[in-house]
Amino acid sequence: MALFNLRKAEPKDVPDILRLIKELAKYEEMEDQVILTEKDLLEDGFGDHPFYHCVVADVPTEHQKVEGYSVIGFAMYYFTYDPWIGKLLYLEDFYVMKEYRGFGIGSEILKTLSDTAVKNRCSSMHFIVAESNKASIDFYKRRGASDLSLQEGWRLFRIDKENLLKMSAEE
Amino acid sequence: MTPRHMPIEAAQSLRYMTLLNTSRSLVGLTPKPEDCKDIARMIMELAVYEKMPDQVKISHKELERDGFGPNPFYQCLVAEVPEDHKSKDGHTKVGYALFFYTYSTWKGRTVYMEDLYVMPEYRGKGIGKALMATVAKVAKEQHCVRLQFSVLDWNKPSLDFYLAKGAEDLTAKEGWHFLRFHGIALDNLALEAP
Repeated sequence: MALFNLRKAEPKDVPDILRLIKELAKYEEMEDQVILTEKDLLEDGFGDHPFYHCVVADVPTEHQKVEGYSVIGFAMYYFTYDPWIGKLLYLEDFYVMKEYRGFGIGSEILKTLSDTAVKNRCSSMHFIVAESNKASIDFYKRRGASDLSLQEGWRLFRIDKENLLKMSAEE
Repeated sequence: MTPRHMPIEAAQSLRYMTLLNTSRSLVGLTPKPEDCKDIARMIMELAVYEKMPDQVKISHKELERDGFGPNPFYQCLVAEVPEDHKSKDGHTKVGYALFFYTYSTWKGRTVYMEDLYVMPEYRGKGIGKALMATVAKVAKEQHCVRLQFSVLDWNKPSLDFYLAKGAEDLTAKEGWHFLRFHGIALDNLALEAP
């Protein structure tokens, strides 16, 4: 019997997805930054216009290492667009619970996502990683990823809500 | 893609904009798939400017297929000037902003601005600023909590433009790097899928 099962997330998975999002934020030392709620996730992922897609990894009851949790990993992604090459798959979050690492679950999730990318005519899969997260950067580079910030000089910028409102009033 | 910044001066020639592939338009114009020919032209102009025209692999056909219908992969604002202000080559569509919705697991709905461009002869009139302000307005209407985009580290005019508007450089501040699996690397990864 397989140790774990990868499947498309369903509305009932939302509480587990939020739990894993918060665990990942804690790992990135930014737990207090998560303001998203279960209600947001449900509406934004399973409503008329999904803003994201999600795959989850779950384990059968007899293989559970942590009491009560069967969903032990997830990946959230969506489709973006490059005006030069067309559709891309963007990987937003990717996490496996500590107790389940080292079994190849992360690798399987990544392979499934790349298969999804190819089947959806995406030329590329993009994502961001904090430069301090050496373990993750090595994981991705071992599998053929390139660092565009180093290679081409791309820097990520953000304009927050307050400044967004100021700009929208300038029109 | 680098959003392009143009020097900011008082807005003059911008008359109206059309928002593609939504059922509403900002000032009474109906968006048309044939606008994609002008968008493709301007995408190529931007690529020529960046000295990478051979990297452009898609045409107006893909833009039409991917931008219209029930599941568009991008949104596009087109800046259009009246006939009597047309360019020396006869174009009235003189700038664009291409963006799409993304998702942050911490904050929720986000807009990602992929391209921002104004034709050289129309710069300095506030068109770039107006395009960006309209993207911000659309973001606000869709309950998006932030706008993200990327800029090349050598592009000082763009960096200055965005920093003046309150943008934060997250690569400098928090160490974020862009990574990608592209072409053969992606295919190889997919071949191993269960």
